[in-house]
Amino acid sequence: MSVQDLHLHIDSVSKNFGGVQALTNVDLKIERGSFVCLLGPSGCGKTTLLRIIAGFENVDSGRLMLDDNDISMMPPHKRGFGMVFQSLALFPHMSVAQNIAYGLKLRGVSASAQRDRVDELLHVIELPNIADRPVSALSGGQRQRVAIARALAIQPPLFLLDEPLSALDAKLRDNMQIELRQLQQKFGVTTILVTHDQHEAMMLADELVVMKNGKVFQSAPPSTVYQRPADSFVADFLGAANIVSAKVSSKGQIELLDRNFDVAVDHPVGTNINVAMRAEHIKLTAEDQAKGNPIGTVEFIRDLGPSTELVIKVSDERLRVRSDNATMSELKLSQKVGVVIDSNTLSIFRA
Amino acid sequence: MRVGLLPNEGGGTYRFTMLFLATIGILISSLPVIVVTIMSFSASDNTGFPPTEFSLRWYADVIALFVNEDTSSAQSVVDSTLTSILVAVIVMVISTLVCIPLAYALVRGQRKIREGMELLFTLPLVFPLVILGIAFLLIAESLRVEIGIWRIVIPHLALVLPFVLRNCIGAMNGISIELEEAAISLGASPLRAIWDVVIPLMRAGILAGLIFALIISFNEFTITFFMYTIDVSTLPIWMYSRTVSSLDPSTLALSVFIIVADIVLIMLVDKLIAGRANLF
Repeated sequence: MSVQDLHLHIDSVSKNFGGVQALTNVDLKIERGSFVCLLGPSGCGKTTLLRIIAGFENVDSGRLMLDDNDISMMPPHKRGFGMVFQSLALFPHMSVAQNIAYGLKLRGVSASAQRDRVDELLHVIELPNIADRPVSALSGGQRQRVAIARALAIQPPLFLLDEPLSALDAKLRDNMQIELRQLQQKFGVTTILVTHDQHEAMMLADELVVMKNGKVFQSAPPSTVYQRPADSFVADFLGAANIVSAKVSSKGQIELLDRNFDVAVDHPVGTNINVAMRAEHIKLTAEDQAKGNPIGTVEFIRDLGPSTELVIKVSDERLRVRSDNATMSELKLSQKVGVVIDSNTLSIFRA
Repeated sequence: MRVGLLPNEGGGTYRFTMLFLATIGILISSLPVIVVTIMSFSASDNTGFPPTEFSLRWYADVIALFVNEDTSSAQSVVDSTLTSILVAVIVMVISTLVCIPLAYALVRGQRKIREGMELLFTLPLVFPLVILGIAFLLIAESLRVEIGIWRIVIPHLALVLPFVLRNCIGAMNGISIELEEAAISLGASPLRAIWDVVIPLMRAGILAGLIFALIISFNEFTITFFMYTIDVSTLPIWMYSRTVSSLDPSTLALSVFIIVADIVLIMLVDKLIAGRANLF
């Protein structure tokens, strides 16, 4: 990954919690103004990494370099990074305006300048008339936006979010994702968001960091991570892929589902490999037009409206297939179909 | 259709039983207050109950006691009252200053330490007060220095701390650490975050603890009975001596004043905490 304008360098950071290795040699370069999503299952270390960046945890080894300054040992209140917490952590004894102005008050900003900034932010989050309300009187989406405004009010060099949308219902979450992305671009602030929701990560990120067991498995733009996953975990975690075992049968060929496919592989002949294929990359044809492609049996079929979900049994493997082709929904259970796999869409990992 | 909280089946016997028990309970707990209040309006010189005539003469007596200082007795009621108030205020302030940081440390600290400390602080509650009084007396007598008012303040502190601590812990429990971290991320030092976020949110519990400390210390008799000296004595001790020497209803009139003050304070506590902290 090449970084044009390096803002934050997480330099081989490790962290151990009472014998549990929470982070192992995490190395990330974050570009100024980019939106980075830390994605992974719970316990993967993404929240620990965010808390280390915020300063709430210390690194055991490694460094955090912000614009060439080592901030590893700087206490959190001196870092001045705006943070949005999972619980939002709005101060319940303060009004909306007092919440947003709190960081400014700490910086000794004059009362009138505080008021101006609060008004400006309330306009940006499109809630201009709630300044004097207590936070308890706000709806979920409003609280969300106030928490974001409070963190952005101090014009932080880094904007950190810890699963901020997880408490919202699905529809509201969808809208907030778009709003959050637009806000981030309006302010141009370097943003790091932690989430376990791959859809959210794909919606928001410029750079997607997939983590597991305290290690970074892949760090790349979302489309790259999706199209070219670094390994079978990433492929599986991001948009359910079919992981099928296969073998390198000869140079430039793999044996997959009892057929040979031309694929550029580096592994020596005879190596066992795993092949990941996306559900939407698998095409189905009528059995008599299979033309040497594998033949499978329809085991499950469901019309979801915009697309159709199928499970096709081929050899001993079950493949998830998703298609937006309307004729798919006419297939019947137990029907034989030809399974067309474009070898360009396959991702190959050593087993 | 709404379902009543009290079932109506069984010919209303359930309702009757509950009502009966509640009435008995309220009667027993309020009987002393009722008797004392009625007696304080008695017109006779002795404390025969029920009084045959009513007057406000004992209230006039109490006011006279306070206004015309009685130089003949060693410890006047004015001195005792002032000592009582001073002790109660010192106890209130110290216990709160101790309990706020302690509650913070215990709630944010390890669970095991917290449970141990809570148990330790509850010990004075289960100790017989008489034994506690003797123990504190032994300690005070073994000291070579005269500690003045502190010989009463310190035992009162031991009695009051569990109540104040529990209130502070109760108030502290509901405060998520993320609130503090939010303040810190916005630029507040850890101490500033506690001052700006934790203390205001603990306020109700702290005030409840303060008022409890005040009431408990002001009314304390048993331990103080061992600890008081000619120079340092409290109002309950004065009332006891007065009642023993001459049982006249002026003490009762004085207690009515105290009861009214206590009720006002307790109502204040009730309003303040409104389900946010626990009294016991």
